[in-house]
Amino acid sequence: MKKLRAFSFLASCLFVSASLLRGADTPTITISKSDKIPIAIGSIGGADGGPAAKILQNDLAMSGYFNLVPATSAGFVVGGTSNGNSIAGNVTDRAGKTVLTKSFSGSARGKIHAYADEIVETLTGNKGFASSKVAFVGSRTGHKEIYVADADGSNVHQLTNDANISVGPRLSPDGSKLVYTGYKSGYADVYEIDLGSGSRNRIIKFPGTNTGASYSPNGRELAVILSKDGNPELYTTGTGGGGAHRLTRTPGVESSPTWGPGGDEIIYSSDDRGGPQLYRISSGGGSGRLLSTGHSYNTEPNWSPDGKKVAFTVRDGGSFSVAILDLGSGNVHTVGSGQGPAWGADSRHLIFAEGSSLILLDAQTGQKTTLASGLGKISEPTWSR
Amino acid sequence: MKLIRLFSLTLLALAALSLAGCTKGKKGTGGGGAADGDYVNGTPLPDRQEGVSFLGSNVDRNKFRPVYFGFDSYTIGGGEHAKIQEVAEFLRSAPNTLILAGFTDERGTPDYNRGLGERRAQAVREALIHAGADGSKIQTVSFGAEMPADPGSGDSAWAKNRRAEFGVVR
Repeated sequence: MKKLRAFSFLASCLFVSASLLRGADTPTITISKSDKIPIAIGSIGGADGGPAAKILQNDLAMSGYFNLVPATSAGFVVGGTSNGNSIAGNVTDRAGKTVLTKSFSGSARGKIHAYADEIVETLTGNKGFASSKVAFVGSRTGHKEIYVADADGSNVHQLTNDANISVGPRLSPDGSKLVYTGYKSGYADVYEIDLGSGSRNRIIKFPGTNTGASYSPNGRELAVILSKDGNPELYTTGTGGGGAHRLTRTPGVESSPTWGPGGDEIIYSSDDRGGPQLYRISSGGGSGRLLSTGHSYNTEPNWSPDGKKVAFTVRDGGSFSVAILDLGSGNVHTVGSGQGPAWGADSRHLIFAEGSSLILLDAQTGQKTTLASGLGKISEPTWSR
Repeated sequence: MKLIRLFSLTLLALAALSLAGCTKGKKGTGGGGAADGDYVNGTPLPDRQEGVSFLGSNVDRNKFRPVYFGFDSYTIGGGEHAKIQEVAEFLRSAPNTLILAGFTDERGTPDYNRGLGERRAQAVREALIHAGADGSKIQTVSFGAEMPADPGSGDSAWAKNRRAEFGVVR
């Protein structure tokens, strides 16, 4: 219903030339590069209206869907009243008609991010990412530790403090939990941290190297690389790392599993045929099917939430680039230098590591923003949805 | 979904039944659609000794020379076999257990490097077993590109970092 309403508002907006593709019952709106929606931040009242307006403006610009313009030329005007832990939001169109009115609660930034995501979803039909979390490995302390931050790069904090090796973080899709590979025992084990309470458990500690753990879309399963049977292979486990079920049996090295949106398929990297290539396998079992990319070194795949694309790292010569494979057409294109791409909730933005920077890329427009730096070398970013 | 799972479980069960009549321990055939619990390309690791760590003071990392590997490879080169024979002989007569640690150079992505390091450690473990060592005394771990033997960049540093180290548990 919400999408249908958004559709009619958009269709009536003179400033938007969007191509409309009719699906079975929900229309899909594809907005191309030059078709940003002109929007204005109007009056945000209340005790913390000033800072709220700034956060909101940044969130809406970052979403990629909007041009921030003066109210006189705007298609929509964003207003509201922000006090303490809540904001009463109100969005009107050119005719002054209300298109969104809703209250949001949370922290000073959290409530604004929730409002921004609701604006994105109401006006475009797509999921926003302002409320999501990112995590990554930083080496600032001289040791690899896990850091978490908001998707706009604010609230960066160091999650692990073990002065050991903490790597391979993966957030649960809802952002409430994080798994990573840690070496506190001297072996590579999978740890899970509840981000709310801060409690940490060593959940996968088979003999050998346990790594690459990644949550299924519903957060109730993990895909993980275990070597307990004499070789690194892809497995799935239940909640808390129990009940390992083996999916691959190759002489090669499997790594970096990523789940499809339905939870019924997994894409991973394997060097079974020479250089590491991408494969697609049913999460229930069966054999992995090669995904051709035209590159000889393909690792760190990350499947978009809409299921249509896989971002991954390629190595050509001595340098690394981020590439995107379109699963429908089979086309591959590189988007620039970097490593470890992860899709946001909108299946449009990517984060990846480039030296000591965490980069946010709008894969549709090519616009790049630095989300975090000054934390040493950054690697293995992950993004909740 | 449930039906597909049930179907694949049935397939697995059938595969297990048909395999039950075959010779045990067929090694190195790769591929294969066998049920869980069948080992086609490696010897399962023994349970860990709790409290024993490759990085701990109770492990001697310098008793034997590391085995070195080519770029992006886990094949044991001809010149490295003498080192493995020496360790196999030691393990056959001494009561010690062993932790094999695999490492890579810096030219790879992190999770793949962790897998490649593990594969190197496992390749050396298989060679030790082949040379008569008891696999139940040998653990593996991979550190990927962490803890390089030579922190530099360049061919000579990278060659030193692509290695498997023998950690003898005292």
